[in-house]
Amino acid sequence: MQVFYTSPWVPAEWIRAHGLEACGIWFAPVPRPFALLAGDCAFACRTSRVAELESDSAFVFTTHCDQLRRQFDSLALSISHRAFLFNLPATWQTPVAKRIFLAELERLGRFLVGIGGHEPTAEALASQMGEHSGVRKALLHSASSLPAQTLAEAIARFYTEGRADLGQQSGDTACPTNGLVPIALAGGPLSRADWGLFEAVQTAGARVVLNATEPGERNLWESASVPSVVSSKDALLDALADDYLAHCVDVFQRPNRRLYAWLGERLAFRGARGIILWVYSACDLWRAEAQTLREATHLPVLQLEADEAASGWTRIRGRLEAFVESLRHLAGPPAP
Amino acid sequence: MSMDEPPRKLTLEEWDSRYAALWRQGLRQPGYGGPLRRHIRTEGDLRLHNLRFDSSAAALRLWNLLLTENQRLRQARQQGLKLVGAMKDLGTVPVMAYSLPNLRAFYPDGAWWTPCLMESTDGLLRQAEACGIDAAFCPVRAMLPAFHNEEHFPIPELLICSAGAVCDDFSAIAQRLEHTGFPIAWWEMPRRRAPEPNEPARSLPGNLLAPSLQVECVRAELARVASVLGALAGQPLDTEALANGLRRANRVRRLLRALRQAVYAAVGTPLPALEMLVAEMLAIHFCSDLDETIAVLTGLLAEVHRRVRQRQFILPLDSVRVFWINPTADLRIMNLLEDWGARLCGADYMFTHALDVIPEDLPPLEALARTALADPMAGSASERARRIVADCRVFRAEAVVIARIPGASHCAREGTILRKVVHEELGLPVIDLEIPPLCDALLPALSGRLQALLETVRNRRR
Repeated sequence: MQVFYTSPWVPAEWIRAHGLEACGIWFAPVPRPFALLAGDCAFACRTSRVAELESDSAFVFTTHCDQLRRQFDSLALSISHRAFLFNLPATWQTPVAKRIFLAELERLGRFLVGIGGHEPTAEALASQMGEHSGVRKALLHSASSLPAQTLAEAIARFYTEGRADLGQQSGDTACPTNGLVPIALAGGPLSRADWGLFEAVQTAGARVVLNATEPGERNLWESASVPSVVSSKDALLDALADDYLAHCVDVFQRPNRRLYAWLGERLAFRGARGIILWVYSACDLWRAEAQTLREATHLPVLQLEADEAASGWTRIRGRLEAFVESLRHLAGPPAP
Repeated sequence: MSMDEPPRKLTLEEWDSRYAALWRQGLRQPGYGGPLRRHIRTEGDLRLHNLRFDSSAAALRLWNLLLTENQRLRQARQQGLKLVGAMKDLGTVPVMAYSLPNLRAFYPDGAWWTPCLMESTDGLLRQAEACGIDAAFCPVRAMLPAFHNEEHFPIPELLICSAGAVCDDFSAIAQRLEHTGFPIAWWEMPRRRAPEPNEPARSLPGNLLAPSLQVECVRAELARVASVLGALAGQPLDTEALANGLRRANRVRRLLRALRQAVYAAVGTPLPALEMLVAEMLAIHFCSDLDETIAVLTGLLAEVHRRVRQRQFILPLDSVRVFWINPTADLRIMNLLEDWGARLCGADYMFTHALDVIPEDLPPLEALARTALADPMAGSASERARRIVADCRVFRAEAVVIARIPGASHCAREGTILRKVVHEELGLPVIDLEIPPLCDALLPALSGRLQALLETVRNRRR
């Protein structure tokens, strides 16, 4: 059975250790256009619609945003047997946050067994943790050298199949840099259907040097320790919780200063001259950060409405071209 | 006019005469008392011109308590008390703060009514946009510039905000506030869920059940909050002090329970909807004065009992009994609801957990944790709907109005679920109305929708 999950902070390795296919919702089939209620988030609604249509799949919703949480409430009235709501704590710096996260992993495990998964052995879990850790690390180390869409495709493979296949790609797909303005992408969900953004950015005369959308580079890290098969399952699960909580960098966290620390370091290192903030219209969490992003990074920020992509890229292209042009004026031509 | 004249709703101008008459008859008032009109001069509360108020001395005291809060907070600071800004939890942190003698807690969230009360002359919503928080967010965004311009409430020494299963709007605005230089102590509110089979569970106020683990987590978080408050107060918040604090909070909650029962269950309308809204709001932080809140509610309850005994009601007996969901950003709509032929027979203003009596037979932190976890906004919309359905049954509601809060992240989907459950369980007509901080420009549309609802009920009666 395929299990879709709505946040990169739900450990896919835990789902796969139960013998089930884990797939990030960003790479689910795109449903036909549907009507939204005033105030609805298009991404959360699309997730809900996919859950209704993919009747042979299970769905792990997360509490990190109000919209997804409320979509689960709505959906639970009809498909409660194959939908699960994972309580992602907003705080991370307390024992309570870890206790909640760990308890949710255990509860998720029971749900997965209930829908046909098997109880994972310590060996199976350690193996999955090792593999995921290895792929994340490989992706992390390749991130700065791969073209944005190539990296997005590799990350998509990680979130759909648990692997990345970076071998053939890192050498022969060097990023074109000549004359292109380096910019960063930040924001909420960037689904496969939204990848037209990469081309639009390049057409506008820029290149993405940092992808901090979801899923993206924020979800890549190097784990401190490699799991050992001699550990008990409980110890492994504990280590998994520690690993995710220690590396979670997201807008919903309170406070979310880790997001800015993470961004600050990478924006400087990659030489980004501007930021594209990719936001769904009803996403309060990211929308509220636009001004803080400007103030904290001292970079120009272009806020793009993700909902607009569904009706074509024309308007987005126009705004991108104007943004890139203004960046050129601000800093002069980029070094060749 | 005598103190015991038949109750009615008065304009501000009519209240001037009424106040003079009460004064002549020897009206006794607390230190914050006085004529209502002065709040226009002192606070710029222009909306009072467009509201109509209950004619009782008890209601006058209620309004004066509400409209002098910022002045009283400033006085408290001058007297050496420390101010705590409780944010989002609506009813939990203030109970803890008022358990310590030298703290006063209030909700900066309450600034969401400022654009209404000042009829937008405050400019807060415009200033919020300049701070990066535009009309896509709920009117609570008024809180953000109110911190920056310091014109509305004194800046608290400590800010405490719940995070996790809370509205995204509020959480995002509070985070923006912190980014602009106001440190916040965050505490985790897990999303309340039903216990799994065989999972240890504990009962919560409001006939709810939650996993023991969630109660323990909230209790641990509140213990952390207690230590932060203790550090500010310069003395620990120990078990005995908290137990005393819970008992005092429960006096307010019991009074409100009695008031709700007396008003909503009455055959007529002994107290208008607007005063009931304000009275219920006292539950969350006692309008910065717990003793006065008790006195105000005691006075209101006595007035209501007297009116019920004497069958003195504000509205016609055949007014349509409406249950109201969510607070409204414009107070005036509560007047208009009655003008258009309805009466309030129950409400869920998003803080029903602050109305429930906190268990006194449990260790106090455990009791408060259970009560906090009963927050209707922390659980599922279906669970919230079940309580609404139960209240609608008790108070014999004939229709339900869902007040949609403009820009609120929870309203779109939650409203759909509430409407579905209420309709399926009770067969009652339900509408949702989006009500901005000043609804005057939308009156024809609001009136049309509400009148259609009331007409539906009248047709069903025939």
